[in-house]
Amino acid sequence: MTTPKGYMGKIMMVDLTTGAIETEKISPKVYQSFLSGMGLAAHILYHRIPAGADPLGQENILGFVSGLLTGTGSLFTGRWMVTGLSPLTGGWGEANCGGSFSPAIKRCGVDGIFFKGISEKPVYLCVDDQGARLETAEAVWGKDAVEAETALIEKHPNARVACIGQAGEKRSLISGVSTDKGRLAARSGLGAVMGSKNLKALVLAGKKRIRVHNREEMKRLSKICNKWVQFQPPFVPGWLTAPVGALMRILPFVATQDGLLYKIMLRKWGTVSMNQISVEMGDSPIKNWMGSSADWGFFKSFSSQPDRFTRQETEKFHCYSCPLGCGGICKTKGRFPETHKPEYETVLSFGGFIMNKDVDLIFYLNELLNRAGMDTISAGHAVAFAMECYEKGIITTGHTGGRALEWGDPDDIKFLVEAMVARDGIGDLLADGVKRAAESIGPEAEAIALHCAGQEPAMHDSRNDPGFALHYSVDPAPGRHTNGAGLYYEMYQLWKKVKGVPKMGPAYMKSSKYKKDIHHARVGKANSVYLNVMNGAGACLFGGFIGATRIRIFDWLNGATGWQFTPEDYMEIGANIQVLKQAFNIKQGLDPKTCRVPDRLLGRPVQTRGANKGRTVDVETMMKDYWELFGWDRETGRPTEETVNRIASIA
Amino acid sequence: MAYTISNECIGCMACAKICPTNAVTGEKKQIHAIDPAACIECGACGRVCPSRAVLDHFGLAFERIPKKEWDCPQFDLKTCMSCTICLDTCPVSAISQALLLKGNPHLFPVLADEALCIGCGFCAGDCPADAVTMVPRNRESRTEETEKA
Repeated sequence: MTTPKGYMGKIMMVDLTTGAIETEKISPKVYQSFLSGMGLAAHILYHRIPAGADPLGQENILGFVSGLLTGTGSLFTGRWMVTGLSPLTGGWGEANCGGSFSPAIKRCGVDGIFFKGISEKPVYLCVDDQGARLETAEAVWGKDAVEAETALIEKHPNARVACIGQAGEKRSLISGVSTDKGRLAARSGLGAVMGSKNLKALVLAGKKRIRVHNREEMKRLSKICNKWVQFQPPFVPGWLTAPVGALMRILPFVATQDGLLYKIMLRKWGTVSMNQISVEMGDSPIKNWMGSSADWGFFKSFSSQPDRFTRQETEKFHCYSCPLGCGGICKTKGRFPETHKPEYETVLSFGGFIMNKDVDLIFYLNELLNRAGMDTISAGHAVAFAMECYEKGIITTGHTGGRALEWGDPDDIKFLVEAMVARDGIGDLLADGVKRAAESIGPEAEAIALHCAGQEPAMHDSRNDPGFALHYSVDPAPGRHTNGAGLYYEMYQLWKKVKGVPKMGPAYMKSSKYKKDIHHARVGKANSVYLNVMNGAGACLFGGFIGATRIRIFDWLNGATGWQFTPEDYMEIGANIQVLKQAFNIKQGLDPKTCRVPDRLLGRPVQTRGANKGRTVDVETMMKDYWELFGWDRETGRPTEETVNRIASIA
Repeated sequence: MAYTISNECIGCMACAKICPTNAVTGEKKQIHAIDPAACIECGACGRVCPSRAVLDHFGLAFERIPKKEWDCPQFDLKTCMSCTICLDTCPVSAISQALLLKGNPHLFPVLADEALCIGCGFCAGDCPADAVTMVPRNRESRTEETEKA
């Protein structure tokens, strides 16, 4: 057999019940059909998690995978992913994270590390020169993610660590996995799966080389990409971003977005650059999706203007192989000396979404939740849910231990989040997300619990970009904003590289975004498929936004592996991965129709003011069109048996 | 592919001591062996071997080079993109990061302790921006370069 290039050709399977650790060879055919990363994980989990498995039980398999392009000299390809049966949705679970952990997986000689069974006592996996072994985690169990990582690195110098905090240990269904002291693979509740397995951490100190077919070609392509990243003309000061958003709201047409603009903002500020633009243009939901840009205008959102964050930034944070560096380390006031720069999602879900203007509080909550390993998107929704329930009299001071909850009150917010981390009182209820909380409160609360099959959607308004409504609803891991959107498609500029995908001109009328036509479904399919390729490659979404001719994922994949696939071949691979993930959900009994976004997010009832005034999204038709384009049943979203069998039989 | 040890080996343990992946096994005064699964071909064993016993995968013997003459990385901060690939690829974790350019919030790679470096050149080979070159060890000239940048 020829030596694998780009990928490592093996996975590690750890049985936590018996303590057995095995390395398995994976056939090159599997990589050629599903790539590595999320595609490889979909292949492994589809076959090995039995139907009806308990997400927090013995049968669930938790996988940590690296991307095919990680460590090959390509750029923006340092993402690692955690996958499993999600306890939050009962279907396909995935979360994606940057930092320095992705190459660490491959340096252990494998593309993925999978865990089955449940350990009797808390353990962590250590892989180094001496091989792979499980060690007792008694000393770090109970510690937060930053403390645990620090302690483990002290014991294993130069290792890379992924671990859970208290939230995962306490099986909060909105918990994730942390790495690099507070960067979180947050979604799908996979921290709870790790907690349920009594697995505290992965400590990886392998040093294997990652082989590449044509390193010079990889470098050539990387230099092209880097040239665009380093292009950094001056941009407006932070306080002027809001007027830019307002202008985008007012104009009746939209210039097809070139991701270079976003790149410039990311380089300057990071994702917080979008804080005020999003509010103004109607992309950011306000007050649990009830409010609008009219309720959270320039002055109210001003405390979150992007310069406010860079002022506290002491250094930029680059993930592995990232030339851009959108992350940062910020000093903070109060209990924690520093924190990763809060991301857009965190700032908005603890900002306008709960009517909070106190940015120091956001810094505090960011670090608190990073350390606990809890998803800030879902946590923000839980707080908003509690506040709306209280306002409507659905919960009372009886539930809150005597506290009156008020929108935007910093003390109330702090109280709720701290209670969630501690799983104390009402926090215990909210720590499993809004769906579980509403189920135990009662039917009135269920109308306020906004989720897609259990997962809270993110801070991007589906009434502004119907693409979000579609992807929140149709993705096998629903409710996630990284799956796709109309805007993403514009920035990918896929039509410049791939034949047969919808082309876009330099500008279009805004009203066309809300028209019922097949275009949206075609864009949606291309989005999903390309994202699967990126997730197989371990590529960063923000890198993808720079545009397919500037970030040459397809060419890098060929350069790393020696394959000679066309972009269309890779898109076919992406489509196959989507089938496998959808089939995973069907196998686990998650009905695709039930993943639809709740009515409030679709403009039902319609908003009477603000950026999204008068807009409704017919997501049902969009979903059907999308399923049909994949060749699935238009009414049920089920892939045909032949399709599933054809793809599942690849081994 | 991995490096191998020939019968010229005198069992001095020098290679076993320097190997960053503990791939070399063998007792003192006995012929050592390299575990092909663990070898990463950094060549450190060959550079320390006093008896030309380490062979690369073409079967060619390494010449011993005194440690003070080994190459070590020099970073061109103007082309460096702070991507951390060199940090990750270094098998002995000799490279760290620091704020090196005034007014620039991005961290840049730095070889804080030359003694840790085994001169493998992985950092230079893997750098996609070709911002790393291997130069003879000489702290003064390296520092100058950094300051110029």
